Amino acid sequence: MNAMTRFALICAIGAALGATVAAAFHAAVSITGLLGAVAALSVAVAAGAAARGLHAPDNLTEVRHERGPSKVDPFPPDVVTRPGLFGRLWLYAIGAFAVMGVVPFVALARRPTPRGTAWSRGARLVNPDGTPIKADTLVVGAVETVFPEGHVDAPEAATLLLRLQDDVLRVRPDRAGWAPQGNVAYSKICTHAGCPVAIYRRESYQLYCPCHQSVFDVLDAARPISGPATRALPQLALDVDRDGYLIARGDYSEPVGPDDWWRPT
Amino acid sequence: MIVRRIGRFFDDRFGTNAGVRFFMAKIYPDHWSFYLGEFALYAFGLLVATGIWLTFVYEASQGGAFTSVVALSRATPIGYLIRQVHHWSAVTFVAAILLHMARIFFTAAFRKPRELNWVVGVTMLVLASLTGFTGYSLPNDALSGTGVRIANSVLLSVPFIGRWAADVLNGGVYPGPLLLSHLYTIHVYFLPIAIAGLLSLHLGMLIYQKHTQFVPDPAHVVGRRFWPDYALRTLAALAFSIAVILVLASTIEINPIAGNGPYQDWMVPNPATPDWYAAFLDGALRLGPAWEFSIFGHPLPAIFWPGVVMPTIMLALVISWPWIDARFTRDRAKHDVLVPPTFAPWRVGVGTALLFAGFVLTLAASDDQQAFALHVSVAGLVLFYRIVLPVGSVVAGLLAAAVARELHVRLEQHGDEAEREVVLRRTASGGFAEEEPQST
Repeated sequence: MNAMTRFALICAIGAALGATVAAAFHAAVSITGLLGAVAALSVAVAAGAAARGLHAPDNLTEVRHERGPSKVDPFPPDVVTRPGLFGRLWLYAIGAFAVMGVVPFVALARRPTPRGTAWSRGARLVNPDGTPIKADTLVVGAVETVFPEGHVDAPEAATLLLRLQDDVLRVRPDRAGWAPQGNVAYSKICTHAGCPVAIYRRESYQLYCPCHQSVFDVLDAARPISGPATRALPQLALDVDRDGYLIARGDYSEPVGPDDWWRPT
Repeated sequence: MIVRRIGRFFDDRFGTNAGVRFFMAKIYPDHWSFYLGEFALYAFGLLVATGIWLTFVYEASQGGAFTSVVALSRATPIGYLIRQVHHWSAVTFVAAILLHMARIFFTAAFRKPRELNWVVGVTMLVLASLTGFTGYSLPNDALSGTGVRIANSVLLSVPFIGRWAADVLNGGVYPGPLLLSHLYTIHVYFLPIAIAGLLSLHLGMLIYQKHTQFVPDPAHVVGRRFWPDYALRTLAALAFSIAVILVLASTIEINPIAGNGPYQDWMVPNPATPDWYAAFLDGALRLGPAWEFSIFGHPLPAIFWPGVVMPTIMLALVISWPWIDARFTRDRAKHDVLVPPTFAPWRVGVGTALLFAGFVLTLAASDDQQAFALHVSVAGLVLFYRIVLPVGSVVAGLLAAAVARELHVRLEQHGDEAEREVVLRRTASGGFAEEEPQST
């Protein structure tokens, strides 16, 4: 054993035991980890020095055997066979079994459920703490994530409630009255890949998705104006109940979130 | 002493010595670049070891996953360290596979008779990335949960079967109650077992067909004997790989999930960028055009093109490369001797173009942060990357090919120079001076 290898191995033993002790005393991660690294590095040095110390030749040779083709017929000559023994029918039989094998996988899928959310007619809008929101709770320019009352964190139900000045929203004729007192609500689930559209740029009335940078125009029915999204964020029709609280007129009238082949168009 | 005794025990009963001797006497060609694959192998070992430990503290449920991972980090420093080692092993594992693959590609080691081993290797790269992604998702923090959500949306976008596939993965409509339990099974059983199986096949084929080499002797393997020379070298490689990963794990914090908070479908950290090997897909989603077609009244979502079609084409191209290369070079002979990259500048060009495209897509995955830092608009940067992706890749490929060609010429000249005989003359001051070569 050469001196370098001996020294490195002693270092390795010391560092490994040191790492053990450090771990036992709940030392900082960097101390335990680095002691472990020193131990491993010492082993590397020891092995490297030992290999170098061998002065072993690096030009030893070994014959490369030809691995193929073996030029032998795979079937022995005395195999009992007859023409058509493995006819096409075998293939069809295997195919039939393969088709049968698909059954369990198809069975795994649930029946295509209508992908509605927890919003329903008359549901009050509540913030993530569950506090109901009145038509004048938000100041103009503010934004809040809202859920239907009793369904905070319900999947796909997250909705952005924005309070705008009364006259800025370009109201579509079929959505008249959906935004009482400048309260407009859009789905928070991006129609591109399903991320939360978490950022509101107040000065330009734009919603911005931090995942793939789709931008939606708040004033124009959350139409996509930049980025990879192709479909507007669905708008939740709002109303005000007798006590002044914001309520939904019903569930979203179009599917929330990313598209797929089976979305009704 | 003890080793010999164990050896005798087995030889008495199974006659193992002949087989052991075969492996001990085997010759392996040696070159620094051959250790890249070994690094990947040892990173995989470290992943399995730390992964098994982590299964004892992880809870695969929607409610418990995040808490269990945060508790693991807080309870003992060693738990935190093991998670760090696991995550750093994962990202270096994929990186080492990619570098190893680049070495194989640029030296044409994939040629007949090793095409199948290339296919096995590329498959392992894909499986390693998937293992990484599913593992990254298991803590169910706000960032990784969003990543799963995006992956789910990409799955949904596949025509006809997308919704079915996503429902199977989720165990119901997203976010299904079984999503984490499915991810756990996939991450802990399916993928690692598949990788271990393919790894055995990979190494089995390597040993059976024997390793390629740079030494231009096609009839022989030229290199070092396994015992003890190469064994010591590979032990050094193993220990060095572990040391590198330990240094990274104990000095650089990776994926600090506690700050992200648990995943809810309405919260996401900003900026949101995945682990490096998944970033090119995220970049593709960002650069993808906002097209949505309707086929027979069925929508074909925009994410289908960058999220499914593009990676499928890339993968098909890479996996079938040995056959494309053979057709292009009209070379269907068997090769055991490697080609120095400069001998085939066009291959250097193709490989560089592919790597450059991947690099641009990876860069695009943080375009929002770059736009913010550079005070330009995200849309402008997206346009820039959309142009750079095709144009830059072609230019990078041509440039790399030109550099390779130039290097080749220079190396040839240099080689001639090295073989030139010179006559040295001792000078009066004790130095040496080269005599001018005499013209013949």
